[in-house]
Amino acid sequence: MLLEHELVLSAYLFSIGIYGLITSRNMVRALMCLELILNAVNMNFVTFSDLFDSRQLKGDIFSIFVIAIAAAEAAIGPAIVSSIYRNKKSIRINQSNLLNK
Amino acid sequence: MDLTGPIHDFLLVFLGLGLIVGGLGVVLLTNPIFSAFSLGLVLVCISLFHIPSNSHFVAAAQLLIYVGAINVLIIFAVMFMNDSEYYNDFSLWTVGDGVTSLVCTSIFVSLITTIPDTSWYGVIWTTRSNQILEQDLINKGQQIGIHLSTDFFLPFELISIILLVSLIGAIAMARQ
Repeated sequence: MLLEHELVLSAYLFSIGIYGLITSRNMVRALMCLELILNAVNMNFVTFSDLFDSRQLKGDIFSIFVIAIAAAEAAIGPAIVSSIYRNKKSIRINQSNLLNK
Repeated sequence: MDLTGPIHDFLLVFLGLGLIVGGLGVVLLTNPIFSAFSLGLVLVCISLFHIPSNSHFVAAAQLLIYVGAINVLIIFAVMFMNDSEYYNDFSLWTVGDGVTSLVCTSIFVSLITTIPDTSWYGVIWTTRSNQILEQDLINKGQQIGIHLSTDFFLPFELISIILLVSLIGAIAMARQ
């Protein structure tokens, strides 16, 4: 696997994740785009760990930490969204103004 | 894993196409349940991308945690909070979307023009010459376990505490 192909693919995932995170009006879709960004970071970690640091494997360990943080985020994110949905009956991003009152 | 040439190229093209189409599907599909399944496709493709770069443990962890846990949780969240107002303004293309797509395209173009200009292989040879040529009698899974229990021990325990706290917080927030 060439290094540049994987870097270009992860740059693509990162930019499309940022685009979706900014423009989405649905909170669950914003969480999905956040997972895309974390996966782009993971791809870079694993690729550089294989090429530059194949004895120590510290990039693999960092990507495992990123996966664990993403699991915590995916547990807490839908809980917050479901709590907002119970109060507002809507999961639109531009209508969640609970802290505004 | 060292595969031969045509299989490797076919794998690269196939997985890359799956990743590009899935990434577009996550953002552009109007129904969120379809974009959740498209996210699953992207995660499976990334997990298969980790196998040719010799990281089988991360590939298995990615497949188990992302596809098996996170994606299922997101699909549950989509199905639990599915209301009928997704279809109201799906064709709405505001000025902010155009500006954001311009900014993200410029980020992508600047990244992919920076990537071939960097001399990665010079960096590889300077780092490989520093490493001690030792016999790798242990495989990579054992090596990850040794690292996690010796010099990454404190971050590992902190990650476990963060997971425990976030799961308790999620349960306490979801039940009222």
